[in-house]
Amino acid sequence: MDHYQNITELSDGKIFALQNIFPLDGRVSAYPSSTVGYSCSNCYLLYENDGALLLDTGYSSHEDIILQQLSSILEPNTPLSIFPLRINEFMSVGNAMAISKEFNVVQCYSHVPDMSFWLDFETTESKKAKLIPTTVLKFPSKIEIGEKNRIVDAFGAPIQLIATRWVYDETTKTLFSSDTFAQYSQKNAQGPWIIEENKKSNNYNFTKSFLLNSRYWWLEGANTLPLIKDINEIFKNFEVQTIAPGYGSIINGKKLVNEEFSTLKQILEDMDQEKTDPSYIHRDIER
Amino acid sequence: MKNPLPREIVPGVFWLGQCLEQHFQGKVYHAYNAAFLIIGSESSLLVETGHPGDFAEINRQVKDIVLPKESKIEHLFITHQETPHSGGLGRFLEEYSDLKTIYGDTSDYHLAFPEHLEKLRHMKIGDSINLGDRDFTVVEPVIRDMRTTLWGVDMKERVLFPGDGFAYSHYHWDGHCGKTAEEAESLDLIDVSAVFAERALFWTKYVDMNIYVDRLEEVIEEFDIKVIAPTHGLPIKNISQTLPKIRKGLVAAKA
Repeated sequence: MDHYQNITELSDGKIFALQNIFPLDGRVSAYPSSTVGYSCSNCYLLYENDGALLLDTGYSSHEDIILQQLSSILEPNTPLSIFPLRINEFMSVGNAMAISKEFNVVQCYSHVPDMSFWLDFETTESKKAKLIPTTVLKFPSKIEIGEKNRIVDAFGAPIQLIATRWVYDETTKTLFSSDTFAQYSQKNAQGPWIIEENKKSNNYNFTKSFLLNSRYWWLEGANTLPLIKDINEIFKNFEVQTIAPGYGSIINGKKLVNEEFSTLKQILEDMDQEKTDPSYIHRDIER
Repeated sequence: MKNPLPREIVPGVFWLGQCLEQHFQGKVYHAYNAAFLIIGSESSLLVETGHPGDFAEINRQVKDIVLPKESKIEHLFITHQETPHSGGLGRFLEEYSDLKTIYGDTSDYHLAFPEHLEKLRHMKIGDSINLGDRDFTVVEPVIRDMRTTLWGVDMKERVLFPGDGFAYSHYHWDGHCGKTAEEAESLDLIDVSAVFAERALFWTKYVDMNIYVDRLEEVIEEFDIKVIAPTHGLPIKNISQTLPKIRKGLVAAKA
């Protein structure tokens, strides 16, 4: 198929979403195996004239396009920091080394030292890696973009399967939620890859099915109250107007954002051990 | 200290890798992102690839193992897509020209390693790979880190390869590196299992893990498992002695 891709500009150039579309045909772990259609990987460039922060680096099948997308935004000497939100996930780390070879990557943020060790998928005796400086963070933490006081909050995702961080950007009131709120795949490759305020997006059963059949099979009958408490805390502390997930359509607008959070919390409440009996969930069960 | 791996844990099954330091609450633990080599009479199988940074060491270890002339490494089985398990996929395929097929649930690899698309062979529970005098059979993954996880069993020596199941660190300072769980006598399995769950198996803190360990015991019985070869923990050779401690550790991890 033709490769559909898109750069979606948010908040007047403060954020660029590098969106690269792929088909859903049972071969993408982020979605239930029965989901068909299209989704996109979203890498977010938080941009200032004197520095930028890239959240996730995309799949290596999109390497050439992501390098082109970055080239269309960044000057070659713009100091670029990289922050993979999930260091064990190909979508987050796949192009970090390639980007560091083409751009002025000044650091990679992580909770572990020596990120070059985690980002290198190609070094052999004949092919050399580039050393990427690591800035070790203890989460929650603050990250500065450029030198004009744009600061974002980075913290552990309140709900996750593998180790995952979320980021909140106060300047744009955007929450970068990695693989949560990623359920909005589309029938067509053309999208829409951003859902705006005037479109109804929310559906309890759809979201619940997405969660239970992708990363959150274990929620049924779990002790979900600590999860709800942590999610509530985030929405109490941060005013979120846009949810920017790692996959699928971006959710834009306060009303839609509030609906998404309410739905997630309601599902978690209904899945709690007080309301749902715990049981063993076989790998191949879809419900 | 010299790396004690590779180690032949049962005839024809080699444990490969090197320790990775993990810092937790002021202590430095060690853990593995191991790979295993299963040698059959007609072909050999690599299970997992190790962490991206382990490639050079695992590659050296594999090359030091003397394979029977007629048993080249033709197969790679990966339990799931996290990079500490699969990050060496591309480089193993480049380095070993006889390696023709990548087995497992092969989701995402077409996006991560598109140049090797034609070598991916998607498997389901119950499927097998024949190595000549032994079969490797895909079994139900009870404790999984992604929806796509699969486990495997070497049916000849009854070795279970559970990926992230049985994940726990060990004490470098007490000489546990390269030992089995039972040889590492001072290892507090309950504690290190709980610590690993706390750090890397988020969901197990919210779930009654007795339900999952009950099912795990059924799978162990069904396949008459004698040895467990986890990716992150030390190999287990006395299941009846060690499994109860693992259960306590998993149940102890709480949010």
